[in-house]
Amino acid sequence: MSNISGKVYAMNVVTPMRPWKTPILRLLFFLLWHIKHLQNDLINLSFIEFARWVIIPRRSFPALGHGQPHENLQYDYLLFFSNFNGTWNQYIDAFSAVLSNGLNLIWRWSEKFPGSVPVTPFKEYIARVQFDTDYYYTAYPNATANDLKSAHIVQTAFDTLAQRASSLTPTQFAQAYLDFTLEIQAHLGETGEAPVAC
Amino acid sequence: MPNQNGILYGLTILSPILNDERATPSHDLQIRAFLAALPTDETSPFARAPGTHLARLVVMDDVIYVGAPSCEEHLKSKYLVFESNCDGPLDTYLTNLARTVPEQLDALWSHCVGYPGAANLAAFLAYMKSCQLDTTFFFAAVNDRTLPQSLLALQTQHAVTRFVTDHQGEDPASLQRSFVNFAANLAKQPPPLAGSSAPPRAIKTGGHNE
Repeated sequence: MSNISGKVYAMNVVTPMRPWKTPILRLLFFLLWHIKHLQNDLINLSFIEFARWVIIPRRSFPALGHGQPHENLQYDYLLFFSNFNGTWNQYIDAFSAVLSNGLNLIWRWSEKFPGSVPVTPFKEYIARVQFDTDYYYTAYPNATANDLKSAHIVQTAFDTLAQRASSLTPTQFAQAYLDFTLEIQAHLGETGEAPVAC
Repeated sequence: MPNQNGILYGLTILSPILNDERATPSHDLQIRAFLAALPTDETSPFARAPGTHLARLVVMDDVIYVGAPSCEEHLKSKYLVFESNCDGPLDTYLTNLARTVPEQLDALWSHCVGYPGAANLAAFLAYMKSCQLDTTFFFAAVNDRTLPQSLLALQTQHAVTRFVTDHQGEDPASLQRSFVNFAANLAKQPPPLAGSSAPPRAIKTGGHNE
């Protein structure tokens, strides 16, 4: 079992919701999806590689027959899966500090959600509703979300320069190379294994 | 609602696990034992089959009781949760998994109710989709690049960093020659393998609060 693979942490959270609240949450997610600037805080928390929320209505757990008993539940459930760089405490602290309003809007419909501020009861709640990951794979274990964003910026600039490098005079190339290095200088760096406390 | 963000697909599958009292160890424990030994590096089944950026497999034993005054309730089945962030479309992704790593899929999902096996592709696809949950909201930090593009970009970033460091102060004509050679050599390099350079599995720091 490991919640960690390389530089990324897998968080799984499940919380119960009274079914009448589910349409409200669906509407909020609909607005969050379609009004892009509402996602700015989430995007600016640049240590999140992927995240998703999944609502499972109480009668929508997969039922395949073959003698599988039907679930008989009173609550709908909200699943949250996150893939983030850094530690659990850093993540929850940042969520609480930066996204508190957004998180409250999403989780206030879950039973006994204490609010994301103050952070202590919020952490206690997340710790209670989290379950651990049995297997976790990442295709780029040595890279963070920021590394990946930077790598694509370098790649685009590099492709542009490489395409025309041969056709320039040395003086023109020197200027183009200078522009290139100025453009990418904040995006250079080495990826590698995450630091591990021994 | 959005299973897709840009060109990336957010796949969520919940497969009910067989509940056979005669099975020893139980099917959920057999799944967990298998997953504990499954590699996470370039030999991972998700590295060998194309298209997986990040994926997790989790045995969900039960829902969680958050305390009074909410009601305590329990699931009647345990579920194998498969969460994958992958290149779409879904059919292509699942087909590639079934064709590339059928043994691993069968070793896992044979402990789940109604699993038909990966050899029968049509039945496999139908089964996976019958267990799929629609993602309500899917966020991807980079949503417009495929896995090969991302792996290539990381390799380029690494190489360009070295090049810029090694060629500081070079005169324009020499710099241009070096850069053209460098770009030509880099274009010939195969992209790094997915999952490569993963730390060894001995780093197990799972738990809530690390």
